[in-house]
Amino acid sequence: MTNYLAQFQAIKNASDRIVVAVEDVSELWPIVKEKFEEKLPFKKASLNNKTRNPVYIENLPAEFILTTDARLRSRVPQELSLFWFREPYATIILVSCEDLDEFKTILKPRLKLIVQNDEREWFIVFVSKALPDNDQATKLAKKVYSRLEVDFSTKKRERCCKFDLHGNDSSFWEDLESKIVESIRNTLDRRVQFYEEEVRKLTEQRFMPVWSFSNFFILKESLAFMFEMVHLYEDALREYDELELCYLETVNTSPIKQREFGGFDHGDDQAMLLKPDHKPLTQFIQNDSFREFEFRQYLFACQSKLLFKLSRPAEVSTRGYSFIINYSKLLASHENDLPFCLREIWVITACLAIIKYTTFHYDGGLVTAEVEKEFYRLQGDFFSLSRVKFMRLAYLIGHGAEIDKSPVNSAELSMLPWPRPAVWPLVPPDVSSEIFEKEKIMLQSNPTAEHFGIQRKALPLEPSSLLREANRRRASLSTPNLSDLSDGRQNLKDGSGVGGSSRFSPQNKERSSSMPRTYSSPMNIESSHVVLDRPMRLSEIQVASEHALKKTLSDPDLWTSLSSKQNFEKKYMELTKGAADNYHRSWWKRHAVALDGEIAAVYFRHGDFDLAANSYEKVCALYAGEGWHDLLADVLPYLAECQKILNDEAGYLSSCVRLLSMDDGLFLTKERQTFQSEVVRLAHSEMKNPVPLDVSSLITFSGTHGPPLELCDGDSGTLSVTVWSGFPDDIILESLNLTLTVTFTADEGINAIKCSNVTILKPGRNTIILDLPPQQPGSYVLGVLTGQIGHLRFRSHSFSKGGPPDSDDFMSYEKPVKPVLKVFKPRPLVDISAAVSSALLMNEVQWVGMVVKPINYSLRGSILHIDTGPELDIKNSQMIEIENSSVFVQDSPNLVDTEITRNDANLESCGNHKRLVLENGKIELPDWASNVTTIVWLPVCATDKKLSRGTSAACPQRQSVLDGMRIVALKLEFGASRNQKFERTVAVHFTDPFHISTRITDRGNDGALLLQVILHSQVKATLTIYDVWLDLQEGFEHIHKDSGRPSSSFFPLVISPSSRASILFSICLTNMVPGVVSDALQSDSILNIKYGISGERTTGAHEPVSESSDGSKVELHFKSAIFLQRPVLDPCLAVGFLPFPSDCLRVGQLVRMEWRVERLKETESLSSTGNDEVLYEVDASSENWMIAGRKRGHVSLCSKRGSRIVVTVTCIPLVSGYVHPPHLGLPDVGKANIRCNPPGPHLVCVLPPMLSSSYCVPI
Amino acid sequence: MATTACFIIVSRNDIPIYEAEVGSAVKKEDAAHQHQFILHAALDIVQDLAWTTSAMFLKATDRFNDLVVSVYVTAGHILNILMLLHDSRNEDGIKSFFQEVHELYIKILLNPLYLPGSRITSSHFDTKVRALARKYL
Repeated sequence: MTNYLAQFQAIKNASDRIVVAVEDVSELWPIVKEKFEEKLPFKKASLNNKTRNPVYIENLPAEFILTTDARLRSRVPQELSLFWFREPYATIILVSCEDLDEFKTILKPRLKLIVQNDEREWFIVFVSKALPDNDQATKLAKKVYSRLEVDFSTKKRERCCKFDLHGNDSSFWEDLESKIVESIRNTLDRRVQFYEEEVRKLTEQRFMPVWSFSNFFILKESLAFMFEMVHLYEDALREYDELELCYLETVNTSPIKQREFGGFDHGDDQAMLLKPDHKPLTQFIQNDSFREFEFRQYLFACQSKLLFKLSRPAEVSTRGYSFIINYSKLLASHENDLPFCLREIWVITACLAIIKYTTFHYDGGLVTAEVEKEFYRLQGDFFSLSRVKFMRLAYLIGHGAEIDKSPVNSAELSMLPWPRPAVWPLVPPDVSSEIFEKEKIMLQSNPTAEHFGIQRKALPLEPSSLLREANRRRASLSTPNLSDLSDGRQNLKDGSGVGGSSRFSPQNKERSSSMPRTYSSPMNIESSHVVLDRPMRLSEIQVASEHALKKTLSDPDLWTSLSSKQNFEKKYMELTKGAADNYHRSWWKRHAVALDGEIAAVYFRHGDFDLAANSYEKVCALYAGEGWHDLLADVLPYLAECQKILNDEAGYLSSCVRLLSMDDGLFLTKERQTFQSEVVRLAHSEMKNPVPLDVSSLITFSGTHGPPLELCDGDSGTLSVTVWSGFPDDIILESLNLTLTVTFTADEGINAIKCSNVTILKPGRNTIILDLPPQQPGSYVLGVLTGQIGHLRFRSHSFSKGGPPDSDDFMSYEKPVKPVLKVFKPRPLVDISAAVSSALLMNEVQWVGMVVKPINYSLRGSILHIDTGPELDIKNSQMIEIENSSVFVQDSPNLVDTEITRNDANLESCGNHKRLVLENGKIELPDWASNVTTIVWLPVCATDKKLSRGTSAACPQRQSVLDGMRIVALKLEFGASRNQKFERTVAVHFTDPFHISTRITDRGNDGALLLQVILHSQVKATLTIYDVWLDLQEGFEHIHKDSGRPSSSFFPLVISPSSRASILFSICLTNMVPGVVSDALQSDSILNIKYGISGERTTGAHEPVSESSDGSKVELHFKSAIFLQRPVLDPCLAVGFLPFPSDCLRVGQLVRMEWRVERLKETESLSSTGNDEVLYEVDASSENWMIAGRKRGHVSLCSKRGSRIVVTVTCIPLVSGYVHPPHLGLPDVGKANIRCNPPGPHLVCVLPPMLSSSYCVPI
Repeated sequence: MATTACFIIVSRNDIPIYEAEVGSAVKKEDAAHQHQFILHAALDIVQDLAWTTSAMFLKATDRFNDLVVSVYVTAGHILNILMLLHDSRNEDGIKSFFQEVHELYIKILLNPLYLPGSRITSSHFDTKVRALARKYL
């Protein structure tokens, strides 16, 4: 059956659509052909698939072929049921008859004959040639057709249809199509059944020796092809799948047959994955042996063709990928026999082919997102796979220097085994010049410049040393020993930099690198070339590989890509970009970004630093974002280098900072120092656009351990902050600032605190002390650390290292921010009050105590300003005293606290008593007094110029307290930097020791008065009176004309606090000359008291402060004025106002005013002078009154008691209203001696003048 | 014991929090680098795969030439992934290894001083993991 293969393929190629045979009985075909063929392909067809389920197919292509056609006739009928698929699927019998007889006699027997063969699906199309207007002909045709129907149609099946050549025929075409499709369906069913039967039979025989796969193959393929022809692609695909499965089973389970694998033909290196007809079947199927190499590709090609037809390019990719992988493995197992590197080349071409075709067919519509993602991922995989193989080939022929030694390439290449040809290709003759060229290239290629002096061992690109591998595979050589390879290794190190030498110890390496390069001089090559058994050197291997590859490679494009460095890079870039783009589209960002790094490396090599930086940034962002620092450490130096070259100072700086902030193990200290020096260098250079630098990862900070610093409102302080520096060396910060953020308040309070002086940060932990200006009350956490390195401002946000990196997701894990500073709300920190509330002595130097009480706050170094008010002086000659108040009990509300304080104070400074000097009105409190309540004693003297006055006991008129009030303004500056102020004005009460009141206790007939002087003690101290005397005023005298001292032996008289004592004086009045009284020399009597005082300053008044404290009692002198009033009831004259004669006074009307002056008693003194006249004077307002007569004058009045006289004055009121009447005064007589009886009116009523009628003339 | 095995714990956000080379092969310093790279790239696959199944042990998710990436997804906050790059085919052993390491990891998580998501620096954990690797891989 294998012989039919060629025929089979020919048939397959020839027939691409189903055939409908036309039996043209009545020579009608030429007439109707055009119309019939117009209806092709069939619009709708319902066919049954293999599982007998109806499938609707649109546009089923078909072809009408006359049975007389050569194509059909040439076939031997039933020649081979195998090729049944090409037989007509339906037979249309075209007849026409206009005569019933003719039909009966000629046509019917003929038709019977034709339809005898029941195998075929046939039906009759009766063509009526009758014109529509020819009724007779139409009728006849109808008759004939009905006859035809009777004869050929059965109840089961309509086998006739009528075609009116000239009529309306739309229903006919539908009928025809349905009939044809029905026929096709039936035929197809039968044929499928037939093929299935055959396949089943063959399958049963499968394990028999006679069984041949080729028969099975042809059957299956025929079936598949038939399905394909009728557009049942799914079924066709299934057939191919089964075929492949069966083939693989056969291949795997019959090891007896040694089959040829294939792959030796020219062009076999190019995958024919998608071209089923790339090679004729006969070429790889011979004598029931299928060459696996071609056959599997053929099967895949058929499948993919169907898949494309089914619009499933994504599935082609999926199947293709696994096919390539499996197939590659298969190739690997036959690698010994295959041409050199065929496997690699095949994979490249296969991948590229699939990429090309699937991309072409893939329109991206009508697929789910998942499928699309998968599709792009596979595209990426294909690119990536072909890229690896391409790199491998390039490496073999010496483009290794162009391949970046990145983790991607290294991982992909170093784990990929070398090609394993049976014998490594030998160096062809006459290629010494090429070898020389390679050597030269190797020597010229510079090892890639390492940035920042990073000494990183290059990652390997070889699974094992190529030199060793190639030499090992040479037939004539056993494995060479190391010494043979030493020069080769030299090349490796200098040229391609392969990591094969990584196993050697560093010493070895150094020695090898210091070897002279002449080892690989051309001379050496020439000489070595002669000796064939000598191990090949690397350049030779490369040249040999190149030549071998050239032989294998049939694709000129691929060869061009490998032929030169530039072309290699171009292709390499294309593949890498393709892979990266597709991975990006499929959301495989990690794969994509790694490849982006490769693209960047190429750009970098070519000097496209802009593009390189862009790509590197993407890579770095991913690695940094996901925290894969090992990988980041690999790429970041390149990015930094790009940025450096591009003059992107900001980027470069941040890259340097990132490099510095990586884990310690990733870079050596020396490298890290280089990074730092770069940062410092840039920071100190003149940057065009200085940018703030974020060093959060490098410089971290936190508050010190322990409780937060607590400050009172308004206090400044120092905050100690721990700063970790990630720099490898000391770094000088020109300034350092920290912000404090208020927590738990609505307003965003951010305050900056500074450490302005230059700070040097050691690597690791540093403690920085920052001055803290007064802050608002609240709780503060550390905010941002800012500072300057050179001209560069930097900032850091992060707290201590060790936690996870900052990102939003970690917010929930964030440690509760510990407050570093608490500033309390304003509260009283100190209290100053007067120590004594009772009064002190006026006009004497007295101690005024000020209690200074700190309220849980240290007063260290505080200064008390003392400012006394008016009439109060501090005696500078005296020292100010300060003492602990432990002896002084104060009933303060927080007694317990003071108790404790007192106890503490007792322990350390009991009885502390110190004298302080007042300077410029301020004193400094001693340190011991910083935490204890103290009393500051000020020697003050309140002055009061006024003499104190005694009062009458009858009307006790107390002195106003305010008179004795003096004010001391105190200002305490305290706190750490004396920032706190406490001001208070303390009122101190001063008073005289006594309050004097007097009263006349008795009055003698002789005019003697007994004056009682009462002394009230006003102070809380015991007063001792030593002596008292009274200097009387004019008009009084002591009865005994003595010094005015009470002759008493009671002195000293002791007066207890707040008690009273009294002293009696006997005085009498003296005669006074009137007129002398007014200018009295001494209007008041003065009471002089000599006394002593004994009191405690802690309770009130006490002895005056004196410099000489000799202990002797000081006698004090107190004076008080007492006003003694002479008895006034002693009138000599009485002046009486006589009533007006008329009732009313009128303006302009004369009025007589009369006063009666009466002598009440005789006055000897006056009489003695013999002057009886009394001087009078009328006093009246000249505006109101006009006085007629003498205003002033003497009237004689007898000096006898009871003599009287009337003084008359005539007046005219000038104004109306209530006015003061004139008043009679007696200027010579003292007021005290005049008695007004009856008294004159205070006001008189003056009426307006009467209306005058004298000018009115009566008519 | 597997010749090559690189074990890594990836916390959510794909941050590696623990890495260990647990293979018996002579340690190549550059290999660690490659292994990290392979494991990192495999995260692409894990992210697709992890949500399609409820199983924790995802078996071999990625192959890289001869090396296989096995993945065990824990029921972490979002995803905690234990990844092992290995060349051995002992799937049961790997599964047991993962399960026991998971238990160890939970113990670490229970430590109040350990901040979830931060690097695991406990030497005890490291020792245990290496012992488990010797036992199962």
